[in-house]
Amino acid sequence: MEPLHQQKHSGPKAERKKLKKQGGSTEEDERKRNPRAFAVQSAVRMAKMFHRSQDIKTKKHHIPLVDRTPVEPPPVVIVVVGPPKVGKSTLIRCLIKNFTRQKLGDVCGPVTIVSGKKRRLTFMECNNDINTMIDLAKVADLVLMLIDASFGFEMETFEFLNICQVHGSPRIMGVLTHLDSFKNNKALRKTKKNLKHRFWTEVYQGAKLFYLSGMVYDEYQSQEVKNLGRFISVMKFRPLVWQTSHPYVLVDRMEDLTDPERLRTDPKCDRTVSLYGYLRGTYLKNKGQVHVPGVGDFQVADVNFLPDPCPLPDAQKKRALNEKERLLYAPMAGVGGVVYDKDAVYIDLPANHVNQQVCALQPTTELVQSLIDAHSTLDAKMAASKVSLFKTVQPLWKDNLHKKASEAFQRQQEAAPNLRKLVYGSVVEADDSEEVEEELGGLFRVSHPQKKKRVIANYVDCSRFNPDTSHNWDLEEMLSSIRDCFVTGKWEEDQDAAALLKEDEKLFGEFEDLETGEVHQGLAEEDAVHDAEDSLVKVDLEEVQKKKRLEKKRRLKERFDAEYDDGDATYFDDLKEEMQKQAEVNRAEFKDEDDETRVQYEGFRPGMYIRLEISSVPCEFVINFDPHYPIIIGGLGSSEGNIGYLQMRLKKHRWYERILKTRDPLILSLGWRRFQTIPLYHIEDHNGRHRLLKYTPQHMHCGASIWGPITPQGTGFLAVQSVAGMKANFRIAATGVILDLDKSVIVMKKLKLIGYPYKIFKNTCFVKGMFNTVLEVAKFEGASVRTVSGVRGQIKKALSAPPGSYRATFEDRLLMSDIVFLRSWYPVSVPQLYNPVTSLLLPVGQKDSWGGMRTLGQLKHDLGIRSKPSMDSLYKPVTRAQRHFNPLHIPKELQKALPFKSKPKQQQCKGKTPRDLQRPSVIREPYERKVAALLHALSTVHNHKRKKAHMVQHGKHKEFLQQKEKQEEAKMRRQKEARKKLYRVMGQMEQKKHRSSLKGAPQDV
Amino acid sequence: LCRNNNNMASQGLDYDGCNLLRQRLVLSTLSGKRVKIKNIRSKDDEPGLRDFEASFIRLLDKVTNGSRIEINQTGTVLFYQPGLLYGGTVEHDCNTQRSIGYYLEALLMLAPFMKNSLKATLRGVTNDLVDPTVDLLKSTALPLMKKFGIDGEGFDLKVVKRGMAPGGGGEVVFTCPVRRTIRPVQLTEPGKIKRIRGVAYSLRVSPQMANRIVESARAVLNQFLPDIYIYTDHMKGANSGKSPGFGLTLVAETLNGSFLSAEMSSTPQGQGDPVLPEDLGRNCAKLLLEEIYRGGCVDSTNQSLALLLMTLGQQDVSKVLLGPLSPYTIEFLRHIRDFFQIMFKIEVQKPPEDERKGGDKVLMTCVGIGYSNINKSLK
Repeated sequence: MEPLHQQKHSGPKAERKKLKKQGGSTEEDERKRNPRAFAVQSAVRMAKMFHRSQDIKTKKHHIPLVDRTPVEPPPVVIVVVGPPKVGKSTLIRCLIKNFTRQKLGDVCGPVTIVSGKKRRLTFMECNNDINTMIDLAKVADLVLMLIDASFGFEMETFEFLNICQVHGSPRIMGVLTHLDSFKNNKALRKTKKNLKHRFWTEVYQGAKLFYLSGMVYDEYQSQEVKNLGRFISVMKFRPLVWQTSHPYVLVDRMEDLTDPERLRTDPKCDRTVSLYGYLRGTYLKNKGQVHVPGVGDFQVADVNFLPDPCPLPDAQKKRALNEKERLLYAPMAGVGGVVYDKDAVYIDLPANHVNQQVCALQPTTELVQSLIDAHSTLDAKMAASKVSLFKTVQPLWKDNLHKKASEAFQRQQEAAPNLRKLVYGSVVEADDSEEVEEELGGLFRVSHPQKKKRVIANYVDCSRFNPDTSHNWDLEEMLSSIRDCFVTGKWEEDQDAAALLKEDEKLFGEFEDLETGEVHQGLAEEDAVHDAEDSLVKVDLEEVQKKKRLEKKRRLKERFDAEYDDGDATYFDDLKEEMQKQAEVNRAEFKDEDDETRVQYEGFRPGMYIRLEISSVPCEFVINFDPHYPIIIGGLGSSEGNIGYLQMRLKKHRWYERILKTRDPLILSLGWRRFQTIPLYHIEDHNGRHRLLKYTPQHMHCGASIWGPITPQGTGFLAVQSVAGMKANFRIAATGVILDLDKSVIVMKKLKLIGYPYKIFKNTCFVKGMFNTVLEVAKFEGASVRTVSGVRGQIKKALSAPPGSYRATFEDRLLMSDIVFLRSWYPVSVPQLYNPVTSLLLPVGQKDSWGGMRTLGQLKHDLGIRSKPSMDSLYKPVTRAQRHFNPLHIPKELQKALPFKSKPKQQQCKGKTPRDLQRPSVIREPYERKVAALLHALSTVHNHKRKKAHMVQHGKHKEFLQQKEKQEEAKMRRQKEARKKLYRVMGQMEQKKHRSSLKGAPQDV
Repeated sequence: LCRNNNNMASQGLDYDGCNLLRQRLVLSTLSGKRVKIKNIRSKDDEPGLRDFEASFIRLLDKVTNGSRIEINQTGTVLFYQPGLLYGGTVEHDCNTQRSIGYYLEALLMLAPFMKNSLKATLRGVTNDLVDPTVDLLKSTALPLMKKFGIDGEGFDLKVVKRGMAPGGGGEVVFTCPVRRTIRPVQLTEPGKIKRIRGVAYSLRVSPQMANRIVESARAVLNQFLPDIYIYTDHMKGANSGKSPGFGLTLVAETLNGSFLSAEMSSTPQGQGDPVLPEDLGRNCAKLLLEEIYRGGCVDSTNQSLALLLMTLGQQDVSKVLLGPLSPYTIEFLRHIRDFFQIMFKIEVQKPPEDERKGGDKVLMTCVGIGYSNINKSLK
């Protein structure tokens, strides 16, 4: 970028800039120069700012952990993920070419390269089989997530992200490819932005998304690949809990060690294989237990470490790697000596510099080599162990006690180097107790009854350590031999109080008594004077003195630090310091030992290239070996090789369309393992009872109990319903975490027992149909029952007549039509299914077709079974018969006592008047009719007249009112006028009075 | 034993003989590996497990959930498939053939790794000649465990009643909180002994006995240190158990907080020669001197406990300085290698010529296996 404006070369601005460049004006300076600008304006705002900064500070705090990263770390595992045809292999090929200047043909299996002076990388391509995705997410340090920009995100991408989240998120970096398919620049920009934001919501805000714009000769542009490589080689990784607490190996080479003769006679026999790879995670113990995802659990037969096939360059002060140090190691892909074909393995001894020293060796040669190594150490050990342990001890006499004591001392002295051997035996052939048996004539075996061992075996089991009989604590020598163990004894030079005091005197002795003005010279001064004289004579002394001075300085500094630094050290700081110290101790302890012994003490350490031998592996593992599928050896903790009940918190994934049904088999990925199991879902009631659920809740967590491998609490897991084939929908059914482990589990199912009353006396009722025998009823005596309508009751006693019927009392009288039910809880046992997903044993090309146990629904579907619904459960039109109620009968006595309101009313209500009481209508005579008509006419006329007169009268009155109103108005006006006049006069008079009083006042003075 | 455990990796271990039964069962429980012990006193006149061993197995069954224990008809073969450590409130009548210390030593190793914090009431013999007594464990094992981070309110061992062999009738209550992880330790400097404390107890004998013990023990120890205080504990009535007896426990505390101890008690009533309290006090004091001569940061009875806690620590280097290894500890080290594949680096430290600090010391170094308490539930 070129600057858009012209830079000033002179004037005050340029000068200020120059000053800034020199570091002349700092913030401190500004504060001094302009104190008002930095003064407190508002205390509230100040407090808020302070709070905010403290919040940010505290958020950054993590519980400090001991730094256990190995000195020479294993290669970083980079997993390249993406939908098919997105350019995964191309990217790996380009990156390898970028780092090592070599072209790789088919990328299969892990490819390890040296990318820099301190970093190695292992690339692994991940196909779209969900098994592979799960396995690789567990070992990845960095995920390169390839996204086809012309298509957008695909379901596999989201699935992989979710898998990563469950198993502890590794670093995730997105890479957009196929950007050259956009013709329109605006559309490209828009797509980039959309994809970026969607990616951010999935990973985290600001996650790195890399753009690979286009292809040149079927390769990505070299500059872009170089940039990507730079990003990778400076990236930092966070430690993940599971990975740092378990050893694991991403296998990059596999050999079948089975005896060829056995293979010939029985091609399906269990195989012995050796697997090679870099150890990662944590220390691996020999003979430990491991899990190979997709194959099963194994006991490791043997572990050796081999020379590193892809070593980091020796420490030299130079910037770049030379051509010889840019190593590439990918035995599965044919680089590094071994080529895997469908039916054969070719071993190739390449002439080029790639991987010269390694791994052309057959396992047998390695064995020999290790034996050669061991021999030299054995010899040394043998030489050291010549001295016999058990010398015959002469009887104790008092006169030669001194001699005895010295002898005993001698003995201990000699026995010392063999202590390790005494405890562990010779470690190289540690467990060959059977070799003692020798064959006699090829038929019988001579058994040597190990007498000494037998005696020890049946000894009294006691932890007491009986004292050495040779010590006589009445003697003065013995007593004096422990004098210094007590505070009253002699102290070491650096701890003796008197010596320390003297030292202090030297350091702080010099002071001036202010009252008397006397100057006290420190001892040091005097010493110094003496030293000056001595130094002329002895040069050696100077060295000593120098050391002493340095020591003195150190002490002074220490004291000063203690006084001034430790003041605001928090608990957090102390903890951090403690961890730091522990890390230093860890590093320093075994640093100087050779690897052979070191491995025995701490196990194989991460970063080593190791070879694991595993026996009794199913033959399909070798026969159906496909280098495109990763083989992972996951080490297991001490109890993780066992099986038991696990309680977990589970939530159905919100993108999974269906809810999960209890007792439907589910495939879980937990720890290293993938396995099928039968979960029971439950939820905790407020009394702590785990109530069985038929289905998982829609949007809520629930508990789940399974029979499965013991895994530490807090480990995350994910569940899928099937791992076979491809599906358009989101496959991850549920996620969760392990809460509790146990050997038994209590999940209760609600059970309602139903009975029907068959005899009712007031509040007592006889119920039948709930139980079958008297004994059953006896068990439930006193249990509370309820009717559907809510009448509560209690079981009293069993009845003999219909077996299983009982007498119960209720708080109200029951009806014959009522149903009585008893709510009870029934413990449900978790089905013991643990079925490891053995996807790696399937034939090549069908590895993603592992079936496992089918759900009931699938079984019915596959077998074409349609369940017949029970007739009671079908919905039918409800026909209800009209209910007829008998009239209420109230006894006469009660009627008398009732108030009138509640008394039954005997009186009939007023209905139609009966015929005899009805009055007959009158029929008029013609004359009477005429009279009536005349009267009617007259009254009509009269009414009309009256109405008219009333109208007139009304009009007149209206007029009168108007008149009156007018007069009133005029009167009001007049009065107002008069009042106005009056007020005016009054006001004038007032004014006059006021004015005269104002005038009159000065006249008075 | 191969691959019969439901496709799981866990393998079993085979042993011979009745010795070290506790070690094997405790380590099996902690590591989850099953054990089969054969030839238990098979050549003996009375073959098979003794009552106290059966009692111990029963106690183990009480604190675990889902353990499988199979014993053959004659009791010469024991198969143990460990369950998960459950803890909680446990009451156990310990067999009087061995003292409570026999059972308690195992419980101390198991208690921090249980699901619920343990409250165990053990009844039986509190003090005898064979096993470390409850007083000794209280004054040495508990402070040792505190160094490994097993600490807190509920960490206590209370002697409610005392009972001597052979009758027993004592009662102790041991409570221990649970921990997820164990802290690594660097106990390389034992420090100098600053004080000696002790308990002289007498049961169903004259209370004067305790005073006589104290007198004679002080006579020996006063040559080294003035700060000595020995409590006398005379229990009466129901709290004094069923058999008479007396004894002394001495503990030396160093500046760095490590404890060395020795103890002695009278021979059980009707067995062996009776002991004078003066002799007992003097001999016990000498035993303490012997223990001091051996030295180290952990006394000889608790060596195995310290080594176990180091093994089960986080994946860091732990160091502890011990006196000479006892035969029991050597066997324990071998068992640790069998169960946890951990080997200790054993270095002998010779004291310099001019220092008068007892015999050779052994510096034990190991890297913990990163054991986490899988029984503790997460809520």
